[in-house]
Amino acid sequence: MARLLSLPGIPPLLACLGLLVVWDILARVFMISGLAPPLEALGQIPGILSDPEALINIADSLKRMAIGFVLALAVAMPIGLWMGRSRLAAAFFNPLFMVIYPVPKAALMPIIMLWLGVGDASKVLVIFLGVSLPVVYHSFQGARAVEEKMLWSAAAMGVGPVGRMLRIVLPTTMPEIMVGCRTGLVLALITMVTSEMIARQTGIGNIFFTALDMAQYNDVYAMIIIIGILGFVCDWAFEAVRRWLVSWADSAHEIAVGSA
Amino acid sequence: MNAIAWRRTITELAAGAVPVLCILVPWYILSAGHFVAPSLLPSPVAVFVRFFQLLGDPQFLQNVGVTLFRLFTGFGIAVVLGVGIGILAVGSRTMGSIVKPLVRVLAPLPKIALYPALVLTLGFDHSSKVALVVADALFPILLATYQGAASVDPKLVWSARAAGTSQTKCLFTVVLMAALPSILTGARIGLVISCIVVFLAEMITSTDGLGQLLVKAGRTFQTVDMFVPIITISLLGLGLNGLFNLLSARLLIGFSTRA
Repeated sequence: MARLLSLPGIPPLLACLGLLVVWDILARVFMISGLAPPLEALGQIPGILSDPEALINIADSLKRMAIGFVLALAVAMPIGLWMGRSRLAAAFFNPLFMVIYPVPKAALMPIIMLWLGVGDASKVLVIFLGVSLPVVYHSFQGARAVEEKMLWSAAAMGVGPVGRMLRIVLPTTMPEIMVGCRTGLVLALITMVTSEMIARQTGIGNIFFTALDMAQYNDVYAMIIIIGILGFVCDWAFEAVRRWLVSWADSAHEIAVGSA
Repeated sequence: MNAIAWRRTITELAAGAVPVLCILVPWYILSAGHFVAPSLLPSPVAVFVRFFQLLGDPQFLQNVGVTLFRLFTGFGIAVVLGVGIGILAVGSRTMGSIVKPLVRVLAPLPKIALYPALVLTLGFDHSSKVALVVADALFPILLATYQGAASVDPKLVWSARAAGTSQTKCLFTVVLMAALPSILTGARIGLVISCIVVFLAEMITSTDGLGQLLVKAGRTFQTVDMFVPIITISLLGLGLNGLFNLLSARLLIGFSTRA
């Protein structure tokens, strides 16, 4: 029993089962109105996942999320590294990020929609904004903590500033950047769902809220489960990539949290 | 401070003002020069004038009050639950083995996806929004408490135990206090998250609050009125963040500053 419990996948699985049981009890015993029993919600999932239109919507969402995430990495990582290595850059960007930090990124959606329309561009922009901040922050923190002696030795051996950045700062900072990316990934999923909830056209948020409007409550709960699984799979896949990239460093943070 | 340090501080302050100006000045030029229609991008002056006008408007202040009420109720519940569960998970192995996998499953879930379910079960009123704030703010606080409490120097606990403190009392008088810096960091993140989430919840379904003001202005294309709620909630977030920093600086007198 104890050996079974120590397998990596088992405790989360048990936790899922436990949640389903609690949910079932809440729905059946307490008869809370508007709470569909889990089995009915789970029963809707195959129907949704075999519907080609729903699959196109989900693929659309994932595509936007991927574009926003990659763009944010491409922009935020260099800025963060630069901020970590140059006092002036840190002083230049820090107040800006401090001002942007408490702005609800998804709440900019209605305004961005006025400029860019309801299409992909505005949603990708919102996802980009959501992901950028944690990535900048963690790259900054990581690059600031790089040991000076390594940079001095490299400089003494004739490595130029770009070479030092790419061959010393970037690899040293990698574990910390990965922490930022993981938070960013969670944020990307959140901003993706939220942006689609506000500008409904295609995507997961669209299926979700159309079901809510049509009072198909089983579908609503099924979508919650699908989004939850998506979040878990993204997190798990990223963890696998991270372990492969920075297997030499142990992770300080176990679980990423974030909100947009 | 000597002259060099002064000059450095001034240069850094000036450098920090540049990107903020880089946003404000083109914004002003674009709108004041009529390069874009004011219905798409109102001038920053108009937005701030409207903001200060509305600060004297009782109806606007009432909406701010509703938002703040939901924010603080949700945040308060999240702090109590997060710190409580986090400490218990460190204190007892059974609790720990229940809480850890649950958190692992629930933390990466986008909580906003739960909002429709919360609306269906708790109704359109305060409770569904407060519940969403709790769900979102809980995890950073819980995780920070857990990590802080798990890394408390065991010598502190041993000394307290040797001096005759009971195991339960130890948890609250020694572990909780020693984990305070980490807990406060988590709570600060949770506070800003609460600000953002309460606004989003009000945007999605609400009859009052700041988020609803934004949606209402958006439906009637009152662009200036769309910017005002966003600026208000952002300023609230900045202000609460600053206040919280002051408070934690007071609470953490005597702790080393590295924590």
